[in-house]
Amino acid sequence: MGSLSYLPQILVSGLGIGCVYGLIGIGFCVIYNASGIVNFAQGAFVMLGGMVTFVLMQRAGLPLPVAAVIAIAGVAGLGVVVERLVVRPLWNRNATMFVMILATLAAQIVVERSTLLLVGDQPKTLPMFTDRPPLMLAGVAISYQLLWIVGCSLAVVGLLALFFRTTRTGKAMRAVAIDREAAALQGIPVSRMLALAFALSAALGAIGGILITPTQFTAFDIGVPFAISGFIAAIVGGFGRPFGAFLGGLTLGVIQSIAIVSFGAGLKNVAALSVLLVFLFIRPSGILGPAK
Amino acid sequence: MTAAAAAGPAEVLATVGLTARYGSIEALAPTDMHVEDGELVAVLGPNGAGKSTLLRALMGLVTNGGTVRFRGRPLPRRDPVAVAASGVVLVPEGRGIFGPMTVAENLELGAYRLGRDKAEFERRWTRVFDLFPRLKERLGQVAGSMSGGEQQMLAIGRALMADPKVLLLDEPSLGLAPRVTAEILETLHRLNQGGLPVILVEQKAPLALKLAKRAYLLSVGRIVATIDPREITSYDDIAKHYFA
Repeated sequence: MGSLSYLPQILVSGLGIGCVYGLIGIGFCVIYNASGIVNFAQGAFVMLGGMVTFVLMQRAGLPLPVAAVIAIAGVAGLGVVVERLVVRPLWNRNATMFVMILATLAAQIVVERSTLLLVGDQPKTLPMFTDRPPLMLAGVAISYQLLWIVGCSLAVVGLLALFFRTTRTGKAMRAVAIDREAAALQGIPVSRMLALAFALSAALGAIGGILITPTQFTAFDIGVPFAISGFIAAIVGGFGRPFGAFLGGLTLGVIQSIAIVSFGAGLKNVAALSVLLVFLFIRPSGILGPAK
Repeated sequence: MTAAAAAGPAEVLATVGLTARYGSIEALAPTDMHVEDGELVAVLGPNGAGKSTLLRALMGLVTNGGTVRFRGRPLPRRDPVAVAASGVVLVPEGRGIFGPMTVAENLELGAYRLGRDKAEFERRWTRVFDLFPRLKERLGQVAGSMSGGEQQMLAIGRALMADPKVLLLDEPSLGLAPRVTAEILETLHRLNQGGLPVILVEQKAPLALKLAKRAYLLSVGRIVATIDPREITSYDDIAKHYFA
């Protein structure tokens, strides 16, 4: 049993990883709302965010911000490819949820294995965005990377809220989430909104992946654990509620880091899945309640 | 002006052998109907006669066959987005408003296809409030929290924001108090008098027949009669089909 005397420190690092889970969770919600599909290829986008950035910096010599932006755009594009190639044909055939989940999992494996073939199995990492010793605040060490993670995540969530609330396209995406048929009857291009949802959700995953990589590492197979955590975040928040998912991510991140300190890192996933079970038993509609 | 228009009212929207099926069940037998410029056509029939199915097939919301012709050109068959974009706009059964969104947002989404034409948007926006002043007071309200009648007004207002060339309505009176129904039908009458062709699906035949220039009577998935409301002296003929 580890010591909980570092509680503030634990909370701080939990919030960092929680933000990333939150971004991934929002990605799940955005696609689910647009289509009713649970996209398990989400983890591949997270892995690719860090991986593509690494490759662009390493092999093309690009500076981090440029590499990151290209990686996010590229992964968003890949999101659309997955939608067109994997999801759309099945959707048009009214495939069941089960088939859809399997298909997106297959897409995840294809991306994962292609990455293994292309860049090998060695873990890679990215430099800290700001390479300075951590700030000390009342005995709590706050790394600059943590500030980047929290800052960027909040900015992304804020921009997303603005997008859904004020733009024509954002409102149309919400309309599709509420009632796909009614949206189509207003001439809203429902299928384009689905492609957009995949692009958005892939970009969110990539951003999360890029932000977290400097604090740990990335490798071809890190996607699935992140996808599972993001999925749990989405459920804890109330599936289909993007901002609930972000809260869910923070909750999960904090509980996970408390568990790591208390019981050891080996029980990290046990903690995450326990959170899932507790919520499914006690409050299956999540923190914010069901979406519709 | 085209020759047809000079000769008389032109056909705006027509179905030619339009069918619909749910799985292996035929829900609509090959159906020919049409609406002309400035006409209000009613589609009547008992519950389950296929009235909604007819509209849904027309919009391309269900597996359909045959042709829908709009101003002489065939409409895409399984693409409701394209049908709506061409100006054939349906106010669906149950209204289909975006409940969690505000009244203003619902109306804005009606004009989704318009893009950024501010002046035209204003024109449509004012027209909607001209017809439904009550909506103007409710702009910031969450649409789902309004009364049924107000929601129906919003659904029609939203459809008008798309500046429809033909307006289709599926049982706008459903679940509404008689007074509210009368108010809504009166507005439809005004719209139609302004030149907008309307297809009105209604179970309450007497109400619809007061407004309609022509009415189709649907029973068990097919048109069994075309009625001229002026020639109706009693509702016995219609009632016969309702209770058949």
